[in-house]
Amino acid sequence: MNLFLKITGYTIRDQMRHKSFYVLLGCCLLFVLMVRGCYSGQYVVNGKLLDSVAMAWYVSNIVFQVIAAGMFLMVILLSMKIFSRDHDDGSLVLFLSRPVFRQQYILGRIAGTWFLCLVFMFILHAAVFLTVWTKTGAIIFGYLAASLVCSINLLFIAVLVCFLSLHLPDFISAVFTVGLLFVGYISDGGYQILNSQILKAAIPSAVPSTPALWRILFPKVYMVQAYAGSIIEQSSFHNMGPINPIVNVFIYIVLIAALLLSGFNKKEI
Amino acid sequence: MISLNSVIKKFDTVAAVDNITVHVEKGEHFALLGPNGAGKTTIVRMLLGFAKPTSGSIFIDAIPVSNPEARNGVGYLAEHHMIPSYLSGLDYLRRHASLIGFSGKDVPLEVDRLLEVVSMKGREKEKSAAYSKGMKQRIGLAAALLGKPKLLILDEPTAGLDPIGIRDVRNILENLRADHVTVCLNSHLLSEVEKTCRTVAIMNNGKILVKDSIQSIIKNGETLEDVFIKYISK
Repeated sequence: MNLFLKITGYTIRDQMRHKSFYVLLGCCLLFVLMVRGCYSGQYVVNGKLLDSVAMAWYVSNIVFQVIAAGMFLMVILLSMKIFSRDHDDGSLVLFLSRPVFRQQYILGRIAGTWFLCLVFMFILHAAVFLTVWTKTGAIIFGYLAASLVCSINLLFIAVLVCFLSLHLPDFISAVFTVGLLFVGYISDGGYQILNSQILKAAIPSAVPSTPALWRILFPKVYMVQAYAGSIIEQSSFHNMGPINPIVNVFIYIVLIAALLLSGFNKKEI
Repeated sequence: MISLNSVIKKFDTVAAVDNITVHVEKGEHFALLGPNGAGKTTIVRMLLGFAKPTSGSIFIDAIPVSNPEARNGVGYLAEHHMIPSYLSGLDYLRRHASLIGFSGKDVPLEVDRLLEVVSMKGREKEKSAAYSKGMKQRIGLAAALLGKPKLLILDEPTAGLDPIGIRDVRNILENLRADHVTVCLNSHLLSEVEKTCRTVAIMNNGKILVKDSIQSIIKNGETLEDVFIKYISK
């Protein structure tokens, strides 16, 4: 078996050994199950009673984004210690004293962490999907596809945190990544609000200005989430600039991974 | 087997290894001696590709060490051998075996064989956090011996071992001689080096002061310790 796949497998096994991993998964599933109470409530908007399917659709979209945001935090926490932990516990020497290319090691570690978080997120999203289905009979087409779409964000975050932790202390890398996501959310979120139908209906004269170039080129993590949300809602998606957000994030992943591999190849162990 | 050509390794302006040229033949049991800070561990790290030389070239079996293929058939034991605390000795050895290409039933067979060799049979399923320094060193030695290596790089292999462990290591190294395994030993225990190696290089301040067979450098009535101190205090 390819060494990359072996290291990916070891990474998944090493991360899953923590009991806290299962406790967290259990807590998250509990949260998802608790949310199901929202689907059976009676909600009135502008004097009209909302039907349970519309409500379930709306709530599950919010829960989808909450789960994704939680997973961002989890992937940051898992990725930030990859190098320092491997260095301290002897794993780095275990792998690199063998005929393992540094690229295989680093990509295996990242792929393992990403895959684990992807599965974790998919389980939670699938739990929401099944809950809505069983509770209301409505099948939210695109919910699971949307989950896979936002997994590209998990990969971006894993690669970014690893790259930063190569040059900065672990905690600073995590904080820097959270800051970068925050700036993206403010920039892209503001753009989405300005282009929303609600705002256009409320202020018909409001004309959103053209965003600055840095905002167009900034990593489109929020936009990927918004795109995934539009898949769930089967609504139109207002992109910022000509580049699809998935392509934008993918380009960033490739660039940062290249920098990471180059930096790690020069690093002395 | 090992070839270092005009190797220089500088940390900022300090040369940890200063223009060293050494060749170790296949099957040779070679010891690198020197006081702390002489540059021995830096050489070991460069041999394994953990550090890159500032200039010069290093080859193992004619393959540059920058190519991981050079580490095919190379066993390494670090001075302060670390095993991830969540792994048992058995898990650790299985990982090593898998990384060097063992698969299926060959893995437990090879791991069992080496657990016997390093006298760790019966303790292999315990987590390494419960191991003493000497036990970790034994598991590390077993990992280095996996797959019958053609080259063994041992950095202070007897560190943390009791007298019986030291004798076991000596016997293991003695047995490897018959298999023509090349051994590169980095040790402070001159008496052990004298018993296990045929060739030594004495290093100080990043330079090799002498490299020859032990028989050649020890004159009548001297010990390796006398010779070592004589060269170092020059």
